[in-house]
Amino acid sequence: MAISAIVLITLSLAALGGFWLVSSNLGRAVAQWRDRVRIVVYLKREPPAPEAVLGRVRAIPGVSGVTYIAKADALRALKQVLGKDASVVDQLPANPLPASLEVTPSAAAATPEGARDLLGRLAALPEADEVAGSADWIERLSQWQRLLTTIGLGVGAVLSVAAILTVTTATTLILHARRHETEIMRLVGAPESTIRLPLLLQGMMQGLAGAVLALIALMIGYSLVAPRLEPLVSLTLGIPDLMFFTPVGILTLLGAGTLLGGLGGWLARAGREP
Amino acid sequence: MIEVHRVSKVFSVGPVKVPALREVSFRVSKGEFVVLSGASGAGKTTLLRLLYRDDLPSEGDIEVLGHDLVPMRRSQVAPLRRSIGVVFQDAKLLPIRTVYENVAFVLRVLGAPRREITARVFDALRVVGLSSRAQAYPAQLSQGEAQRAALARAIVRRPPLLLADEPTGNLDDAMAAEIIDVLKDIGAGGTTIVLATHQARLARALHRRMITLDGGRVVKDEG
Ligand SMILES: Nc1ncnc2c1ncn2[C@@H]1O[C@H](COP(=O)(O)OP(=O)(O)OP(=O)(O)O)[C@@H](O)[C@H]1O
Ligand SMILES: [Mg+2]
Repeated sequence: MAISAIVLITLSLAALGGFWLVSSNLGRAVAQWRDRVRIVVYLKREPPAPEAVLGRVRAIPGVSGVTYIAKADALRALKQVLGKDASVVDQLPANPLPASLEVTPSAAAATPEGARDLLGRLAALPEADEVAGSADWIERLSQWQRLLTTIGLGVGAVLSVAAILTVTTATTLILHARRHETEIMRLVGAPESTIRLPLLLQGMMQGLAGAVLALIALMIGYSLVAPRLEPLVSLTLGIPDLMFFTPVGILTLLGAGTLLGGLGGWLARAGREP
Repeated sequence: MIEVHRVSKVFSVGPVKVPALREVSFRVSKGEFVVLSGASGAGKTTLLRLLYRDDLPSEGDIEVLGHDLVPMRRSQVAPLRRSIGVVFQDAKLLPIRTVYENVAFVLRVLGAPRREITARVFDALRVVGLSSRAQAYPAQLSQGEAQRAALARAIVRRPPLLLADEPTGNLDDAMAAEIIDVLKDIGAGGTTIVLATHQARLARALHRRMITLDGGRVVKDEG
C-alpha cells in the first residue's frame, strides 16, 4: 500500500466532502427560507369585509396562502415581542399599527423575478398602502451555495487528479518491483486480467482506505464544529442543526474513493508489448 | 506447425540500423525436432522471439500453430503463448522462488486447479531429473540444474511446441548431453522442438534437421 496515494485520496475526498457538507446545509437553509418567505401588504384602513379582500388576494397568481391581521392583532403581536416593556404600548393614544395581509408566495413566485411580479400585483390592490418583503437575499444565499459547490468541485477535481496520478505512480512502482514476475506471466501467456486485476484491486483498496479516513476526519471535524456552530447557525440561517452525510452520501463518498483508486491502478502501465 | 516466409528483422539502435534476420524462410512440421545453429550474433534468439511473438518482424510473414502472427491482435497473443513452451537463453528464473515455485508459478498464473499443480510440477521435475532439488533457490543451483529448471518450467504445461534457446548454455559436454537426452525424450513424446545453439559440434552430434544461420541469413538447411 502506498501511503502517499492514500493520503492524497483522503485529502481530496475530505475537501470534496467538506464543501459538500457546507453546501448541503446551506441548501437546507435556502429551501427552508423559500418556504418561509412572507410578503406583507399594509392596508390603508381596516376593510369592512376582510373576507372579500382575502378572496381577491387568493385569486392572484403566485399566492399560495394569505392571512388577515387586524390592527388589534398587530398590536397584540407587538406587545408579545416587547414582553415586559409592553406597557409602553398602553401609553399610546391610539393604535398606530395598520392592518395587514400576510401573503405566502407559491414556490414559483419565490424566485427573484416571480417575487417582483407578485409584489407588483399586490401593490396594485386598491386597499394596499405599502408592500414589503422580497426574496432577494435568499437568492444571494443560494448564489453563495452555488459558489461554494463550484469551488468544492474545483478543488476536489484538482486533488482527485493528483490522487489518481499518485496511485498510478505507486502502481507503476509495484509493477517495476515485480517486473520479472510480470514478464514471465506475459511470456507464458497469462491473461492480461490476471496480471492487472490484483493491481486494480490494490488501487481500489487504497481508494477505499482513503475514503474511510476522509470520512473519519470529516466526522471528527463535524462533531467538534457542529455543537459550537449550531446556535449561531440557527440564529442566522434558521436551521436548528447541522446535518452530516446521509447513508447514501457516505456510500457515494466511499464509492468515489474506490473509483479514484481503481482508476489510478488501471492507468499504470509498465513493460513493453509489441 | 511453423511457417516462416521471407522474414527480415532490423533493430534500430538510435540512428543505427542493425539487421538481425534477412529473408529467412523455412517450415517445421508437427513432431519435428529442428536444430537452429549459428555463431553468436547470427540471429537465433531474434528468430525464436519472433516465433512466440515477443517481437514482430520488419518484413515477412510468420505462422505458428495456425496463427498468423503479424496481423495478430494483442488479445490473441496470450492464447498463442499458452501453447508454446520456451526455455529462455537467460533462463529467467525468479530468484526469490524455489525451483518448485518457479515451475508451479506458470500453472498458478494460468489458473490450474491447486490439486493438479503439485503432481504436474513433480512430473516435469522428474522428466528433467531435478526432483531432488525442488526446494532449492536458483542461486543454489549449478548452471546445468538451472537450465533443467528452466526446461521443466517450459514443459510443465505439455505444450505442443517447445522453443529452447541455448538450453545447454555454457555446460560441459557431459552435462549438455544430459539435457539433449531429455529434449530427445520430450520430442519422442510428440512435442515439436526448435533448439537453438551456437555449439556447432553439439548441433551436428544430434543428427537432426539443422538450420544454420549466418549473419541473419539461412545458409544451410539439411538433415
Ligand atoms: N533488442 C535488440 N536491439 C538491438 N539489436 C539487437 C537486439 N536483439 C538482438 N540484436 C542484434 O541482432 C543480432 C542477432 O542477435 P541474436 O541475439 O538473435 O543472436 P544469437 O544468434 O541469439 O546470438 P547468441 O548465440 O550470442 O545468443 C545481433 O547483432 C544483436 O546485436
Ligand atoms: Mg541467442
